[in-house]
Amino acid sequence: MSPVIPVGPYHPALEEPYKIELVCDGETITDSRITVGFNFRAIEWLAERKNYTQDLALVERVCGICSNVHTLTFSRALEQLAGVEVPERARHIRVVVHEAERLHSHLLWAGVACELMGFQTLFMTCFALREKVMDVLEAVSGNRVNYAMNKPGGVTRDIVDSAMVVAAAREIGRVTSEQLIPVLTTDRTVRARCAGVGVLTREQAQAWGVLGPVARASGLPQDIRRAAPYEIYDRLDFEVPVRTEGDVLARIVVRALEVVESCRIIEQALDGLPGGPIDCGDFIHIPAGEACARIEGPRGEVFYYVASDGSDVPTRVRIRTPTFQNMPTVALMVARQTLADAPLIQASIDPCYSCTDR
Amino acid sequence: MTQTTGVDMGPDVFAELREELGIEAPWEARGEGHWVEAAGLDPVTLAARLLARQARFVTLTATPTGDGGFRLLYHWDLDGSLLNIAIRVPGACVASIAAVCPSADWVEREVRDYYGLEFTDREDTPPLMLREGDERALFVRTRALGRDADPADTARRTGSGPAAQPPAAPTAWNGAATELPDAGAEERE
Repeated sequence: MSPVIPVGPYHPALEEPYKIELVCDGETITDSRITVGFNFRAIEWLAERKNYTQDLALVERVCGICSNVHTLTFSRALEQLAGVEVPERARHIRVVVHEAERLHSHLLWAGVACELMGFQTLFMTCFALREKVMDVLEAVSGNRVNYAMNKPGGVTRDIVDSAMVVAAAREIGRVTSEQLIPVLTTDRTVRARCAGVGVLTREQAQAWGVLGPVARASGLPQDIRRAAPYEIYDRLDFEVPVRTEGDVLARIVVRALEVVESCRIIEQALDGLPGGPIDCGDFIHIPAGEACARIEGPRGEVFYYVASDGSDVPTRVRIRTPTFQNMPTVALMVARQTLADAPLIQASIDPCYSCTDR
Repeated sequence: MTQTTGVDMGPDVFAELREELGIEAPWEARGEGHWVEAAGLDPVTLAARLLARQARFVTLTATPTGDGGFRLLYHWDLDGSLLNIAIRVPGACVASIAAVCPSADWVEREVRDYYGLEFTDREDTPPLMLREGDERALFVRTRALGRDADPADTARRTGSGPAAQPPAAPTAWNGAATELPDAGAEERE
């Protein structure tokens, strides 16, 4: 009988609670079973009992890392329902915070991956860079976790010191290009731990509808910023990095290249920062109707559906996060891999169980 | 009708899809997507046709209609355009698309957890957010309970919550109880 090794729901190798049971033949994983739901908070249910203002604070707490994407997507859905136009300056500010959050998420993840590889010095480099992003987010929003920047019709705070934000973006982009990416792509330790490990083929990625950097590392060039541009992305010059290897290393490289692109986007958004108001100025009434909104979060496409009956409480809120789509494919990635690689493989999708469970 | 985002696929694709799927209602371009009501459409046929066009399954939104049935919104991405296709289910049972579209596996399990909707033609439908043995249709049951389903609200109204309890007397470092100052004494005098 094959031994089954249960990992989780609470385990030192996991950042958040979930459970993966690994069926092994010696050191090789032959099968696995994933259990989620340990962070279940019934946020959709709660959102249908609170008014839109309360819901804005609620959805920001779906995730502790990509909190901004949830208020942005929710606000965009409400703006569609209300037929509200967001001022140009607010669109630029939204993009700056959106990309800063991507930087924060990717650098946090890169640090965790390096730590799992046993590469402590690179872990420190990643976290030192992440700290610069956190300083920017704190200076812009006053917060380091839930930024409370978005609201239907605009943003809540202006960017008063754009030079500081541009300087930080340049520095992060420079260190990532000159130090992080060369080490991640050439270092023997990184290659030994990541190259050819946890492969998800393009066909598997397509069949399972994976999203974000995981999809792009498996050769699928999908990015909502490019496919269905929102805010000002249709006017920005940026690349969508794609790799075809589908392994852990490809996921690392895609995210590292995206860090550089996010820095470029922040610079462009602030270079062209127009004057004017940061919100539409009116109290927004949400009429009866339904709307969907999608944005490209750090982990992939975030989807919201909101239905309204014209009152101040939505009748239906549906939230689909990227990890919800990506998580089942971990079972494909760990198959025929060694037990020792399982923590790194499951981490390579940058899982967020808080998002998944909602 | 507001402006939509995504790649402009042209009217041909939508017309072809309507014909292939036998949808009578017209597509409506609204917000960030294209919407259509296709009450009796078989979701498996829908999934097979869209997958043949390299579409990506986004998710499923189930909404109880209040008469024991459901409105199911299947969200698909086709070349960057979001298709929202609504079907009506009169009872608590619908065909599963997980066999042709593996990425629908988890969301079908989740919908069953929340609303008790059964998906046929699956080998099994284990709970996703709930645990084995938990009663299904969590959101339906809690909706029926109304405010009683909210533990915080129930605690406030019944006086059983932490706010309704008198503050615990602080204890000194050696465990001896410390007498609380009477905050209202001055006002009463």
